[in-house]
Amino acid sequence: MQGIVLFGVLACTYLMVIAKRMPALIRNFRYQSFFLFLATFVTAFQERQIDLYIIAGLLFVLKVIAIPYVLYRVIKRTKVNEDLGLFVNAQLSLLSALGLTYLSWILARHLVAPVDRVEVSTFTVALFMVSTGIFLMILRMTALAQIIGLLVMENGLFLLASMVSGGMPFFVEIAIFFDVFVSVVIMGFFLYRINKLFTHIDVNKLSRLKG
Amino acid sequence: MPGLFLFDPLSIFFIFVIAIVSLPSAVYSVGYLKGGGSRFATTLSWILLCLFVASMGLVVTVNNVIAFLVAWEIMSLVSYFLVIADAKHERSVQAGTIYIIMTHIGTAFLVAAFMIMAKYAGSFNFAAIKSACLVMPPQIKNIIFLLLLVGFGTKAGIVPLHIWLPYAHPQAPSHISSIMSGVMIKTAIYGIIRFVIYLLSADTAWWGILILILAIISCLVGVIYALMEHDLKRLLAYHSVENIGIILLGVGLSMFFLSIHLPYLAVFSLIAGLYHLVNHAIFKGLLFLCAGSVYKATGTRDIEKLGGLIKKMPQTAVCFLLGAMAISALPPLNGFVSEWLTLQAFFLGAFKVTGVSRLFLGVCAALLALTGGLAAACFVKAFGITFLAQSRSRHAEEAKEVSLSMKVGMYFLSFLTVAFGLAAVPVMRLLAKVAGTATDVDTKGVIFSLNNFIVNPLAEKGIYLSPLWLALVLLILGAIAFALFLLPGRRKAVSYSTWDCGYYQLDARNEYTATAFSKPFRIAFSFFLLPYRRTQKIRESFYHVKSFVYETHTTPVFRKYGYAPVLALVFGIAKSMRRIQPGSIHLYLSYIFVTVILLILFMGRFH
Repeated sequence: MQGIVLFGVLACTYLMVIAKRMPALIRNFRYQSFFLFLATFVTAFQERQIDLYIIAGLLFVLKVIAIPYVLYRVIKRTKVNEDLGLFVNAQLSLLSALGLTYLSWILARHLVAPVDRVEVSTFTVALFMVSTGIFLMILRMTALAQIIGLLVMENGLFLLASMVSGGMPFFVEIAIFFDVFVSVVIMGFFLYRINKLFTHIDVNKLSRLKG
Repeated sequence: MPGLFLFDPLSIFFIFVIAIVSLPSAVYSVGYLKGGGSRFATTLSWILLCLFVASMGLVVTVNNVIAFLVAWEIMSLVSYFLVIADAKHERSVQAGTIYIIMTHIGTAFLVAAFMIMAKYAGSFNFAAIKSACLVMPPQIKNIIFLLLLVGFGTKAGIVPLHIWLPYAHPQAPSHISSIMSGVMIKTAIYGIIRFVIYLLSADTAWWGILILILAIISCLVGVIYALMEHDLKRLLAYHSVENIGIILLGVGLSMFFLSIHLPYLAVFSLIAGLYHLVNHAIFKGLLFLCAGSVYKATGTRDIEKLGGLIKKMPQTAVCFLLGAMAISALPPLNGFVSEWLTLQAFFLGAFKVTGVSRLFLGVCAALLALTGGLAAACFVKAFGITFLAQSRSRHAEEAKEVSLSMKVGMYFLSFLTVAFGLAAVPVMRLLAKVAGTATDVDTKGVIFSLNNFIVNPLAEKGIYLSPLWLALVLLILGAIAFALFLLPGRRKAVSYSTWDCGYYQLDARNEYTATAFSKPFRIAFSFFLLPYRRTQKIRESFYHVKSFVYETHTTPVFRKYGYAPVLALVFGIAKSMRRIQPGSIHLYLSYIFVTVILLILFMGRFH
């Protein structure tokens, strides 16, 4: 089961790396979150813990439904070009993603005892998600990619926490969920404002604001 | 909390100094603030004043370094707000900025020193630190001393670090200038006495010598710059630099004597320093209050635009004259006594030591005497140009005597200048206790007075001085002179116009100016002041010059050669730092990413 989840998450992340348009990015984020939800739900079912059920439910409500919905709405309302604006093209991005995966694997093997293969691969995928989040933030021009990048990083951390150390404390987890949701709402609002003021959401062009 | 405070004679002495200057200044401010700004501004200024005095009180009474730092910082911040409170113009803000930057640099050094001390003591308490300092390795002690010297020196205005003082003090409201100059910079002296003499017990000879050198330079530089200055309050601010130098001469001498095991001479020198400290607080407070009165009455601080004020404001003029005589060390006023004591300390020390040290002390004494002479010249200029002759501008012509509350403040301090001059003997006895505590010398068996200084048998025969007798002699001489003046057979007052070479139209523009008065000094000290002149002729034709502008300036040596290069360096580095900040968010994100990766690799190396 864990293998399926990990594979799904990894595949979604790769799809995000090669995505060229905003809806694709959001959709893949939704799938990625769904796989995470599955993983949490299965763990909850196995361990019969009410806390984990609640976390899984929140994950589903917030990351699979609410956040993608908010982001879809934002891009619909801003009516901008749906292009993400790639600094490096899809092929090169894919190559870099492969490189990142390899690096994450090396790092994971250093950090975790190489006996437990599931743990090593979980660690690898989690690190890969975090680095991909940063990758998306750096190498995509629009502000939406920055938001999604942050969310991907957060997903990576969630995966790491839940599957390697058995999850963070319940209240911390809930607090993080709400933090993420609120920050997405705020960032979506900013996106809207930026578009209204500059008629684009190209972060690359904001450098002129510097004093 | 009983454990937080320390009320030994040293602290009580400083509390006393704070009180005798703050009180008249507060009374004075009632009249000074009237008619200047809204009710809110007045209230705010009172609140700040109270906070300021309270924080200074805390600085000199707390007994652990953390509380000391907190009080010190409150004092600095409140005084910063007071500096920028007065006016809306750019200059106040600029002065405040220079002040706050300098004072925070000083505080940084103090924090470093305190942390080293606390690390060795394992406690922040003075008592624990004192016992820890006995076993501290000497090189660590040296480092602490240097850190403390820079830290407190910035606040006190020792010469290379005095740069903020002539900006900040004049820009504050006058009653605040009087407290800042009279008391606040003395808290730094308290710091030096408390930490270097009391806690570190000053057992290294070069510490005292370093302080002496810095002090004598401060004296000379302060007074020379004061001579060149035409802004009344800035002139006084430069004199603060000079007088801090004189105070530090006493303190440094005391440290020097402590290190060569002459405890009674050390106490005597410290008495001289402390005596000058309280005297300077009194007469500098008085002079700033008088300068404030002049400013309030005329609206200008430029003495070239004043003149003839003795007829308009006779009471202020008398107070200013008293203060000026005291700061110029004329008997029988208080400044005379303390400078006399400092000179005595030098001579007594010179008898005790041999070789180069003897020469050094002699030279210091000579330079101190020179300082006194230059200070007198400076105040002849300040008083003469401001109060005598004819008014040089309309502002000065329309001046009126100030209100009662302002006069009360000035009278009180004027009275103290006389009282501390005449009551030298009891004051010295009290100060002996203070100095004894600070230096850990038992002074019970020794009587310090101006007349019989027990340690040195030479002094008993040779040096004889009583301010009371001196005052009496002066009074008798004055009476004789006055009687001669009134001798019969002499025509009474004759009023003539001044001989003007047949020009017939002498007015205020023909009067002697402050620039002209200070010219000989500008030439004598030209190696240091680097004066230059700027002339500008506007001609109608080759033969007819329509107007002619002549300006003379002196080069601000410390600012130009000391601070400007450092500032340029800082700005240069800041400018090159801008290059890595192009404003692209993507680039900033990648900086973070690269940093994280580098950190991971760095960690990996130590695995």
